[in-house]
Amino acid sequence: MTKRQRTLLIRVGAIVLVFLFAVFLFHIGRQHTVLIDNNTVTRDGVELQALKLVEVQVGKKGEVLEMTPRIRDKAVVVGQRHTVKVVYTDASWNEHVHELSFRIPLMQNMVLISLPALMKNPEDVSFWLENFEGLPTAQSDAPQEEDVVFDELAGFDSF
Amino acid sequence: MNAALMLTKIRQMVRSFGLPRIIIALFLFSLFILAPFFNVNVATSLSDTLNRFGMNAVLVLAMVPMIHSGCGLNFGLPLGIISGLLGATISLQVDVAGPASFWLAILFATPFALILGWGYGQLLNRVKGGEMMIATYVGFSSVAFMCIMWLLLPFNNPKMVWGFAGSGLRTTISTEGYYLHVLNDFLKIRIGNHFIFPTGMILFFTVLAFAMWAFLHTKTGTAMTAVGSNPVFARASGIDVDRIRTLSVVLSTWLGAIGILVYQQSFGFIQLYMGPFYMALPAVSAILIGGASVNKASILNVIIGTFLFQGILTMTPSVMNAMIQTDMSEVIRIVASNGMILYALTRKTEAAR
Amino acid sequence: MRELSTKQKILRFMANNTVPLLFVVIIAFGVPLSGYSPTYLAGEVISRISRNTFLIVSLLIPILAGMGLNFGMTLGAMAGQIGLIFTTDWGIVGIPGILLAMIVSTPLSILLGWWCGKILNMAKGREMVTSYIIGFFMNGIYQLVVLYGMGPLIKIISPNLLLPRGYGIRNTVNLIGIRKSLDNFLMIRIGGVPIPVGTFLVIALLSVFILWFKKTKLGQDMRAVGQDMEVARAAGIRVEYTRIMSIIISTVLAGYGMIIYLHNIGTLNTYNSHMQIGMFSVAALLVGGATVASAKIRNVFLGVVLFHLMFIVSPMAGKRLIGQAQLGEYFRVFVSYGVITTSLVLYEVRKKRERGMSGLALAQDQEVTS
Repeated sequence: MTKRQRTLLIRVGAIVLVFLFAVFLFHIGRQHTVLIDNNTVTRDGVELQALKLVEVQVGKKGEVLEMTPRIRDKAVVVGQRHTVKVVYTDASWNEHVHELSFRIPLMQNMVLISLPALMKNPEDVSFWLENFEGLPTAQSDAPQEEDVVFDELAGFDSF
Repeated sequence: MNAALMLTKIRQMVRSFGLPRIIIALFLFSLFILAPFFNVNVATSLSDTLNRFGMNAVLVLAMVPMIHSGCGLNFGLPLGIISGLLGATISLQVDVAGPASFWLAILFATPFALILGWGYGQLLNRVKGGEMMIATYVGFSSVAFMCIMWLLLPFNNPKMVWGFAGSGLRTTISTEGYYLHVLNDFLKIRIGNHFIFPTGMILFFTVLAFAMWAFLHTKTGTAMTAVGSNPVFARASGIDVDRIRTLSVVLSTWLGAIGILVYQQSFGFIQLYMGPFYMALPAVSAILIGGASVNKASILNVIIGTFLFQGILTMTPSVMNAMIQTDMSEVIRIVASNGMILYALTRKTEAAR
Repeated sequence: MRELSTKQKILRFMANNTVPLLFVVIIAFGVPLSGYSPTYLAGEVISRISRNTFLIVSLLIPILAGMGLNFGMTLGAMAGQIGLIFTTDWGIVGIPGILLAMIVSTPLSILLGWWCGKILNMAKGREMVTSYIIGFFMNGIYQLVVLYGMGPLIKIISPNLLLPRGYGIRNTVNLIGIRKSLDNFLMIRIGGVPIPVGTFLVIALLSVFILWFKKTKLGQDMRAVGQDMEVARAAGIRVEYTRIMSIIISTVLAGYGMIIYLHNIGTLNTYNSHMQIGMFSVAALLVGGATVASAKIRNVFLGVVLFHLMFIVSPMAGKRLIGQAQLGEYFRVFVSYGVITTSLVLYEVRKKRERGMSGLALAQDQEVTS
């Protein structure tokens, strides 16, 4: 192997390493929104009632959300593997605690967790977790035009 | 054989004229051809182009003396513009209505242009070889300095100062009631509904351009060219190089002052504060588009260049907008004008001074 | 005898450090006049050191190579901004977001720096004005790409980054995801003043890199090219290659610097953020006592502190002095440009004097050839 070949090899290797590092960064830095939904849902023809009062925590250090029926809340998370902890006390004062882990697809901006479904069948992740494709952006009013500002003198005050 | 000969001849012509210039000229030409197909009125466009030509031509003409004496492109044009602004504001302060205010403004601007130009020339004589960068920053710092002055100078014509504070000049001052359109309207010729020939303004430029041409053929003028093309030889033949260079800088500055006044009378507003900041760049690129280089320029370059540059500025927004429903004129302006300056700065043959 | 030599020493020191001393005087008047508390000022200055130092350091390498102040660092700033636009679009947040933006900006910076270096090699002797115009020219291309290309040609996933018409990036891009994430990493407080140790570590690393780089073969080559291109060429150094490398390094560093700068500010003004960056960085460096021909790390730090103290206090001082904050704002702009102008003039005058000293015959010879 000549010296030139070796240099080339090292360079290609370095580029590949940087690329792999970039992919790694992409995974650990990707932000996702987890929507937590406590509405009555229908699964396999069965109607699952919304839960009366439930505490939800996404991630180990996440904020504990207290949710009543017909509430939808969200948690912003970074990375793909997460846990959700749900504490629910039913009508007969039995406390149900579920601590479950789930995985968000890398390119998915939002996922939705349905709490009634989770209560019904906590073992099956696909039963209570679904990809959420965002609300169609406000169609009601015509998109307001935004003028692009070119100010060649801008930045005099912000530096 | 014949074809090959013609090809080399064409290649030679392209080389001597410069590819970017040909591209820009063809671009403008195609815009004028395309215009009618997109319901853009050619007469209006031509009229606008002529008007903007008149507005800017004197500022472009201000480039000529300094290029001739070897001081390079006058990126310090804002200094001249500031002299013009001082003349304009003092003229408005004196409060003489009508066309007389224009001539008064020129009169008041002249001493400032002479003094500032002289100092600027002295400075440039000490930094031979690095004129262009220094000129740029002399322009910038003088604009910034005048920003402070516009706030502090004791002007009090209510049409010029901020109403609520009673002091400090406004950012834009209307020339209405003073010298708005004095040159534009002088002997103007209206052809059809859309075409107006601004005779006075073109005439004013013609007189200045002719005076410049005549000056360049006097003894001092030829000395200036000699200094620009070969300073060592010029010194050997007994020319006071520094004096001639200073003279050229003063002349450039004065023309810059007149140029901005002509611009204002057509535009309708005096733009103070950061207004003159980037005004050198369009003038510089215009003369370069016209075929000038860092050390060679003629009156013809001024005329062709201003027409091409202003033509593109007027035509691109309307035609492009009609063609692709997008206003890309800003991008085209930036790329074309700065690309032209870059081209001129990187010519090897022209780098030798 | 001894007295006189001390006096001479002081005089020489003052002559060599006119600009920093002038700034010390301005600040000595401005700080009490502004009425800001020392804690506030310390906090502001520290935040600005962390924000701007990286950008300013990127100017050092071209100065070493004798190419003067690289106003073309705006190119790097644009590359950095494009990196940030992409990572924001992909939703990468925190320190990984910053690092990824840097990685994305690198190939762009290298390409732009290579092109800029090529052009500057065609314009030897007027690198500064050419690099300055290159910045403007590239701004046009940047607008073309970001305002027209992004959306239809370059895929943008997130619709709220785009203008309502469906293509082109909005005026402002919110960098909330990465905002201050590096600053807040290892943040400590001393006497109520927050100190972003994380960012300072990065800056320290960069400073060490620059010091090390000057000792490498390439660094030594650059110094040789900077001193005399022809001598360097005769010694077998690839002058053109070395000059291009210096611009590439500067552009890449400027890109990283811009990312750090914007991560501290938290919003990206898509079409304006980069416009004045070169000018202010150059001014700060010169205030620190650097010249067009020589600049050191210590000039960077002194410059940031002095320049930004002036920048912080002048609006308030102007307000207190004559009741107009605007005046102070114009004043600081004027001072920035004035400093650059003075330094450029001093450099040219010195260059001319040195040329004059090396003999009349040689000087005449040079005038003919140059």
